[in-house]
Amino acid sequence: MLEASATNGKTDDVWIPSACRICYSHCAIRVHRVDGVVVKIEGNPDSPANKGRICARGLSGMMQLYDPKRLNVPLKRTNPNKGIGVDPGWVEITWEEALDTIAERLKKTRAEDPRKLLCAASVAVWDAMHVNLCFTTAFGSPNYFFTGAGTHCGNAEHLMSGVLHGAFTCQPDPDYCKYLLNFGVPVGCGAHYANNAMAQRLADARVNGMRHVVIDPWMGMAAEKADEWIPIRPGTDSAMALAMLNVILNDLGIYDVEHLKHHTNGPYLIGGDGHYVRHSKSGKPLVWDAASGQAKEFDDASVGDFALEGTYSANGVSAQPAFALLKEHVQRYTPEIASEITTVPAATIRRIAKEFAEAARVGSTIVIDGKTLPYRPASVVYFKGSQGHRHATLSAMAFELLGEVLGAANVPGATLGANSRSLGFPETGRPAYSPFADRDGLCAPGAWVTPDPPLPLRQSRKPEAAHFQDLVSTVCVCSPLIPFGMLEPEKYGIPYKVDMVIQTGSNLVTTLADPRVMERALRGAFVVNFNIFLDESAELADIMLPDASYLERHDIYLESMHSIVPTGWWHSTVAQPIVEPMYQRRPAQEMLLELARRAGMLGDMYSVMNVFYGLHEPYLLDPNETYTWEEVIDRRYKSLFGPERGLEWFKKHGVLSWPKKVEETYWAPFVKVRAPIYFEFLQTAGEDIERVKKECGIQEFETSDFQPLPDWKPCQSHVEPRKDFDLYCLYYRVPFHTFTSTYNNPWLDEISRIDPYVYNVTMNTETARKKGIADGDWIEIESAGTGVTAKGRVRVSQCVHPEVIAVGSGGGHWSRHLPVASQSEKGVCFEWLLPLNFDYVDTVSFNQDLCVKVKATRMAEQPRKTGTGWTVAPVPPGLLP
Amino acid sequence: MRYGMVIDLKRCIGCYACQIACKAENATPPGVLFARVVKREIGTYPKVRRMSLPLLCMHCADPPCVKVCPTEASFKRPDGIVDIDADKCVGCRYCMMACPYGSRFYYGEEQHYFDGGGLTPYEEKGYRNHPTGVVMKCNFCAHRVERSEQPACVANCPAKARIFGDLEDPESEVSRLIVERAGTQLLPERGTNPSVYYLSP
Repeated sequence: MLEASATNGKTDDVWIPSACRICYSHCAIRVHRVDGVVVKIEGNPDSPANKGRICARGLSGMMQLYDPKRLNVPLKRTNPNKGIGVDPGWVEITWEEALDTIAERLKKTRAEDPRKLLCAASVAVWDAMHVNLCFTTAFGSPNYFFTGAGTHCGNAEHLMSGVLHGAFTCQPDPDYCKYLLNFGVPVGCGAHYANNAMAQRLADARVNGMRHVVIDPWMGMAAEKADEWIPIRPGTDSAMALAMLNVILNDLGIYDVEHLKHHTNGPYLIGGDGHYVRHSKSGKPLVWDAASGQAKEFDDASVGDFALEGTYSANGVSAQPAFALLKEHVQRYTPEIASEITTVPAATIRRIAKEFAEAARVGSTIVIDGKTLPYRPASVVYFKGSQGHRHATLSAMAFELLGEVLGAANVPGATLGANSRSLGFPETGRPAYSPFADRDGLCAPGAWVTPDPPLPLRQSRKPEAAHFQDLVSTVCVCSPLIPFGMLEPEKYGIPYKVDMVIQTGSNLVTTLADPRVMERALRGAFVVNFNIFLDESAELADIMLPDASYLERHDIYLESMHSIVPTGWWHSTVAQPIVEPMYQRRPAQEMLLELARRAGMLGDMYSVMNVFYGLHEPYLLDPNETYTWEEVIDRRYKSLFGPERGLEWFKKHGVLSWPKKVEETYWAPFVKVRAPIYFEFLQTAGEDIERVKKECGIQEFETSDFQPLPDWKPCQSHVEPRKDFDLYCLYYRVPFHTFTSTYNNPWLDEISRIDPYVYNVTMNTETARKKGIADGDWIEIESAGTGVTAKGRVRVSQCVHPEVIAVGSGGGHWSRHLPVASQSEKGVCFEWLLPLNFDYVDTVSFNQDLCVKVKATRMAEQPRKTGTGWTVAPVPPGLLP
Repeated sequence: MRYGMVIDLKRCIGCYACQIACKAENATPPGVLFARVVKREIGTYPKVRRMSLPLLCMHCADPPCVKVCPTEASFKRPDGIVDIDADKCVGCRYCMMACPYGSRFYYGEEQHYFDGGGLTPYEEKGYRNHPTGVVMKCNFCAHRVERSEQPACVANCPAKARIFGDLEDPESEVSRLIVERAGTQLLPERGTNPSVYYLSP
């Protein structure tokens, strides 16, 4: 095992175990420091997840650490005019002045109305994000905002993962899956959760014959590695999924009856109003017991045979089992109709449906660790792309049902909730959590990243928070509508106006949508940013605070992300400073605690942290004492892993790991909860929201998508009336960048220059030919949604749908403090093209729609190349096909 | 003993981690990529595939670069590794013209990654080993191999797509994979007999 120790007689030559924080996968690393300089970062071989291997980003961490353009001192603005592209007139101030100024504002705001504070932090700074959340809560504000790509990523996926898998997100079972049906997720291909760990495991699966089919308008890395790439018109994946469901349920008649009866709400009786028929006294949903010929409560032990089909009379109303309604509902989605919508041939839809259904091997079992379990080696995955549309929740529902009707969920081979269930470290039994049944027997997650798990369903309330997650009670991650709650609170009955914002590590202006909306929202507030750079969002800040990078600070490990490989081992790590923070950089976590102290709310902060970090006696934080950030971390570890394993243990040993049990990984047979295949709770939520809207006179937040069964519905892009806006513009996740935060790293820039696609906009070769556009031409891309025109250089490609142009995520910077990134040929900031309004947000999950119609025209005057002097020699001609 | 590498294109995910693992290990200057990945599209939409092809020095059994080197700076070791003695290299770059794989890089004058920012502390340490005016290339991380470690790109590959070993040992994993999966070399018609083999995607 690696231990932090001197490796030879030199004064300073050590390998130090730590954890990467350059993205949210948090791989275990070891860092070589010589004479006080970080000279190498490697994967920590002691980690059973990434097993000594890390990605290009993690390897290049020192180029971020030593970037000469890092923010090194606190700054305050002198120019009162705030705006994108407007120089704030920064002047250097001391930390004392900065903290005092901020603390005074905090005290004033807290005395007036604590809800006026909004704290935003990026998922790219995962630990600080949670300290932010604790800070906001302790302050007394409901306004936290997980930013970065939060609203872009998987709001709907997270919602569905929560209610179907009891987890924040899902992964395919890399050990047993034999058929991976992938709606555009780069899983195991350089991006997505736990990317290095999944890369190894899915490479094993490929070699061992797992069939991988990827449906995606653009050939991302997953599609490149797949056995079959099925290009599809953007925003229509769910039409294909629904047609597949129809084929599976109605043509092939393949479904897992045992699973549907006992592990889903398929047998629950649904009345004519779309709701459950409930027991008149207990209020529990009723099922039809075909054995005794009567209606019974769903959890009545005497039910002999749960009816899945038929029409029955219960409580004096005519009712059908939910499964029967699903089966009937999808009949309208014939492969021919879906083909019209998706451009995927009907025969392909039929074939893939059959392949997938047969691959699930319904009825088969497998013995693992002496336990006989259902064996369903077929998995569905989807994420940002396919569900990144206006009707995200209904899309996610359709994808999920493909697996759920086959029983392919949380059993070997199937789609697995990522860490749904933990029975704890063997010596302490902590952390312990498990999916549990809500009052209707449905699956509520045992652990959740935010305070808003999707189930048990919360009551809709009059908006009090700027993010509207109290009104729209199904939103369980974060809200892109925050700018509207900030700009027009009175319109929604929000009784105050946000006037102070603390941002940590997020570049809100370039990672949400139309930067002008966030610009307006931030203009009206006193904005404090912790960041390692003066990025685009800094232009709207009042005070900039120089954060420490992950190689200069302690980060607490939160198990929700790092162990997200679904099979194998649990493990815990810590991030520790390899070098002391240089210049005047200080970790945001420590400074938030210091701000809490100065604002007189430290005791409240500790109380919240005690709950949030699951601290136990004797490690509870005493509100009357003062603790360093290291002490908080130490108490967190000791609470979880016992007195021997505090911060010092982790700093020395790096990784604590223990094997996952069958009952954790494949938890479905062991936990008495039911997955919804009929989303009655959404209908209930929708009606509830309508009630509150009426009471408050709110017009927005329409609820037509709060329906119990999935449908495909057109997005804004599909109904664009202007014919010359003929291309769908979307962005794809660049696997070797973390959102916008790594674009100034010159090693990653070097990759981006070599890669054919990252800095270019990709257009189908034939489409380009018809438009008179050649490879390398500069084009103007005019957005139908924002009216903004962006400029980009075209890469013609056979690997993209003819109706699509694809943009790499996170590029197109303009901050002059990011000189590597901010060059005209380094990508397009997609957000300029993407509207930020209610029409481009999924009403159920608040997922941002990530697709917009554009018009592309060749620029009459082609720009000349700029940029740095050095180049990479091309590969000799003739070497490659 | 003949060191060689197998790159399994079925496992490779084109993530460029080899390129950066190499850069981090060897502190190569801007534009110098001992390991790199190139991407090519093959076919016409929608019947199209894309290939990510990792490249490095092929450590040819019959290396043309060694033959043309006028100063014997380029040489082949008994263990099959092709290397350059920087002290002998005069920077004539004949070897670069002779190499059909684009695996050699001329480092003319000192370069650094941050324009106007000077050398970072990391670069200051790392670039000490790189004299200017000479040709540079991959040497299978000979310094690592000599202490029984794998080359950096192999040790780190996130998809475990790279395997390193002795091609002359029929029991080695590289030899076994080349036989079992019909490993191929790049440009075999050039008669260079590379020590890097590829397994089909």
